[in-house]
Amino acid sequence: MKTNNPQLIGQSIPRIDGPHKVTGRAIYTDDLKLPGMLYGKLLRSPYAHARIKRIDVSKARALPGVKDVIIGADTPQIKYGNWRLVPESQDELPLAVDKVRFIGDEVAAVAAIDPETAERACELIEVEYEELPAVFSVEDACAEGAPLVHDISKGNVSLVRKISYGDLEGMFQKADYVREDTFRVHAVQHAYLEPCASLAEPDEGGRITLWTSTQTPYLVQCLLASTLGIPENHVRVMKVMVGGGFGGKMELRPWEFCAAFMARRTGKPVKFTLTRVDELAFGRRRHGMTLYSKVGLSKDGKLLAKDFQVMLDGGAYNAMGPTATFLCGTFGNMAYRLPAYRYFGRHVYTNKPPASAMRGFGAPQAYFAMESQLNQAALDLGIDPIDLRIINAMEEGDVIPEVATVSSCGFKQCLEKVRAASGWDEKRKNKKPGHGLGISAFSFISGGVFNWFNTKYNFSSVEVRVYDDGTAHLFSMACDIGQGTDTVLRQILAADLGIGIDKVRLTSMDTSNTPKADLGSWGSRVTLMNGNAILDACRKIKDMLIPVMFTQFDLNQIQDIAFEDDHLFVRSNPKKRLSFAECVYKALRGRRGEPLSAHGFYTPRNRGLVSPAFSFGAQVAEVSVDEQTGLVKVDNIYTAHDCGVTINKRAVEGQLEGAIQMGLGYALHEQFAMQGGRTLNTSFLDYKMPTAQDMPPSVSLEVETYEPEGPFGAKEAGEGLAIPTAASVGHAVYEATGYRCQDLPITPEKILRALGKLK
Amino acid sequence: MATSHFALHQPQSLSQALDLLEMHRASVRLLAGGTDLVPKLKVGALKVANLVSLQGVPGLGAVAFDEGQGLVIGGTARLAQVAALPEVKRLYPGLAHACSVMATTQIRNMGTVAGNLANAAPSADTAAPLLAYDARVTATNKKGSRDIPLAQFFAGPGLSVLEPGEIITAITVPPPPPKSGSAYQRLSARSQVDICAVGVAASLSLDGQGRLAHCRLACASVAPTPLRCLEAEEMLSGQAPGDDLLDRAAQAAAAAAKPIDDMRASAAYRRQMVEVLSRRVLATCLAQAASLAQAQGGAA
Ligand SMILES: Cc1cc2nc3c(=O)[nH]c(=O)nc-3n(C[C@H](O)[C@H](O)[C@H](O)COP(=O)(O)OP(=O)(O)OC[C@H]3O[C@@H](n4cnc5c(N)ncnc54)[C@H](O)[C@@H]3O)c2cc1C
Repeated sequence: MKTNNPQLIGQSIPRIDGPHKVTGRAIYTDDLKLPGMLYGKLLRSPYAHARIKRIDVSKARALPGVKDVIIGADTPQIKYGNWRLVPESQDELPLAVDKVRFIGDEVAAVAAIDPETAERACELIEVEYEELPAVFSVEDACAEGAPLVHDISKGNVSLVRKISYGDLEGMFQKADYVREDTFRVHAVQHAYLEPCASLAEPDEGGRITLWTSTQTPYLVQCLLASTLGIPENHVRVMKVMVGGGFGGKMELRPWEFCAAFMARRTGKPVKFTLTRVDELAFGRRRHGMTLYSKVGLSKDGKLLAKDFQVMLDGGAYNAMGPTATFLCGTFGNMAYRLPAYRYFGRHVYTNKPPASAMRGFGAPQAYFAMESQLNQAALDLGIDPIDLRIINAMEEGDVIPEVATVSSCGFKQCLEKVRAASGWDEKRKNKKPGHGLGISAFSFISGGVFNWFNTKYNFSSVEVRVYDDGTAHLFSMACDIGQGTDTVLRQILAADLGIGIDKVRLTSMDTSNTPKADLGSWGSRVTLMNGNAILDACRKIKDMLIPVMFTQFDLNQIQDIAFEDDHLFVRSNPKKRLSFAECVYKALRGRRGEPLSAHGFYTPRNRGLVSPAFSFGAQVAEVSVDEQTGLVKVDNIYTAHDCGVTINKRAVEGQLEGAIQMGLGYALHEQFAMQGGRTLNTSFLDYKMPTAQDMPPSVSLEVETYEPEGPFGAKEAGEGLAIPTAASVGHAVYEATGYRCQDLPITPEKILRALGKLK
Repeated sequence: MATSHFALHQPQSLSQALDLLEMHRASVRLLAGGTDLVPKLKVGALKVANLVSLQGVPGLGAVAFDEGQGLVIGGTARLAQVAALPEVKRLYPGLAHACSVMATTQIRNMGTVAGNLANAAPSADTAAPLLAYDARVTATNKKGSRDIPLAQFFAGPGLSVLEPGEIITAITVPPPPPKSGSAYQRLSARSQVDICAVGVAASLSLDGQGRLAHCRLACASVAPTPLRCLEAEEMLSGQAPGDDLLDRAAQAAAAAAKPIDDMRASAAYRRQMVEVLSRRVLATCLAQAASLAQAQGGAA
């Protein structure tokens, strides 16, 4: 793809935070210590569902070293949730008041001089519970007369999303081939390496500074302020290294509230650090779902209709479940042309740890169903699975009804590339026993349009300041949680102003000192949205510098000014040039000392309801299955993807490697062992993620398109890549063994049972 | 999650170490690589007042082979050290395999064979191969030393017959008989880096007539302790090797297993994998022995 992009775009700029992280110098929230700091601990519910009859904290309070003990009754009891647009959906309190709804629901908090004392104090809190009948599956939760997880709701379905277009019945009647399947997918965890931690420091006037492991500083600022009942800007959320999020750190959390609340009460800083047990036993997870899908196709392979009905196991609170319910329906028809589609999604409360956003946000589930089903349809219709996808693939200019117009799309090229690179045609012709190739495709959003948080600000905002020492300073609320935006945003700024990346300083993720607002790192939105805001600010900076050139060289207004190599020059006559530094100096003089600074903003407009841009891709997995042990060995993963113009090649490769690791975990390794509402595997010994040793070789094939809505033509490369692996591996396992997985994960025991080889 | 407080003692000789064990016998543990012990202390699963480190005790760290005695693994020899010794790779491939694939690089560099045995996990990876090699454990206390056949060493999950005050000072493995073969295979259904769900080790040799002699078959993770499959061993000894015989021995091993359902695998899967892996390790042993027999026969 040839563009006029600056040289810096597409280069593998190493991560700015890399050396700090690999040498252990990076500072995370738990590394912070402030004078007089107290240590917080949470008391959690041992019951999945119970009424709180009585709490007695007197013994805990009396323990020497304990500085504060709080329960729900001590707090303002203002409910919160990310969907501020729909206040009824805000169903959480920082500490339980009437009932506990899952094992781990927070009941009380302690602040003490050391963690051991805080823990002992928690043990001294007496809580009398009346245990209530509980529901642990969506089926039980929706049964007649099921106990209500939230007493005020009518049933346990907390939210319904419907999408409907085209003549569904008519199209099914026209179809030569109709199939129905029900898929079940399980809950898995983000398993970010840094367990959550928060440190709140009280400031004068009851203001709070909060260092916290979050991917949404602005959301935390707003919701913390509202639950404390103080003005939004009395809360400052601060920059700190974040060791991964993947969707699991994008809400206000009880320990953030408790740290701030107790800091205000005691006048001392309060820190909470969760353990891995807390994370695995009580933390957020990806939604388990039951997905019913009925598709109709013509005999030549054209998709005609799809009826998609999904129940999401939401756990005890909505969390980001409403968005997952919406997006799952959107992803049900995103990659293919589909004349008629109906989606009915229900988000269901159960007495389990709440599910929430997790890399792919409803898409890994929806695509596992879609792609597995298409592979079966291809087999039945006698059409090659890649051909079947090409027949139906979206193209540039296509409209996704009720969603958007696709303004860049390299989907078909992805399918062709992955076919060639994987040796698909030859290997399928010369099949080896116990060996198989599988295909799956995906599409994903580059940030969301729908303003569920109901922000009054732009979705992304930055400030750029330039100085006569040739440097620039970028201020952005965007937060790097390990995905590399601190590097990529600098790269975008440096590229556009034509200065070296070492000339760019960055202040990020400080809600007091960076412009309002940025919605955070989720939905694969930062590069596109923050990148666009940077370009907007750069345009304004350039407008301040270009006049200097015109005056200096007495230029005709048809001339264009280039910004490259730390210089500005006349494009048609590069000898007429000034250094960037000199130009800023002259502009400063001309402005009689007023610093050069500009704000830039981005909010998607006229881009439909879902996302300004869509990524596409296809993946082939190659596996060998040991038919005696049922063990699946992934021999290779070939992925072709269209993320628009690649801004940082190495960063995109990193995303793909990580996505394969997560995808394989979802497909083959990870699952929670649940006993009712209790999670049994609460350490990495028993919750198994793939390790470096489990990683297969992989081949990355880039299909570059130019996305007009993205900065330098870029779109997302973060989450989409995590979508296809369960279905591609599932299909490959089917080709190798004849076992078709419709309920994840694919385990050796399931394979052997299906083959009749295990009693 | 509170880490318990303890005193760490660092004796500079075996006798000092034995004295310290005696002196603090009310609450004391030996510390070798710490890879089992430290995680337990961290989560509060083990509370102990005194730790006696063996790191500074001289003379326990060696791994050496000689044709008379066989392989002697010192009481503080590391897993990685054992895996790296050329004689181990050549003469005890089952043990070499266990010590090079279990756990992770970091853990193998710290963890010891003695610690692996003394910890007495049913899943201990060195246990099955060492059982298949008829290893003996030398336990030393203030009064002297005794040799315990490994087959009599394990007493239950986390339990061994070691007495308080005893230190494993060596593990001795006899030299392999001529025309023999040995192997270990382990599997986890979940990840390469995992405690094994099933492990099976075997060793066997061929006599002058090409019949099986000296057969050993041992399993990990399928019973409360690492397990010798005596019935299978008896079935094999003295017989002419053949597919059918190996099948039946593998079935006998599976029948001897007493696996449980847990998060790593179901009992049914485990039992069946004992059969699959037994069949595989026996075939590997036999191929090794046969090729040695051919080479040695040719030389004779
Ligand atoms: C991440 C991880 C992965 C692991 N994977 C595996 C695996 O795949 N397979 C496996 O088998 N194990 C595994 N382990 C367990 C452990 O690493 C091994 O059992 C190791 O061999 C223990 O040796 P150590 O020297 O670290 O023992 P330590 O932790 O120091 O001691 C263990 C026990 O043995 C006692 N002890 C130590 N030395 C002696 C001695 N000389 N005499 C008497 N008693 C003694 C100690 O008092 C203690 O009770 C793993 C552990 C971790 C943390």
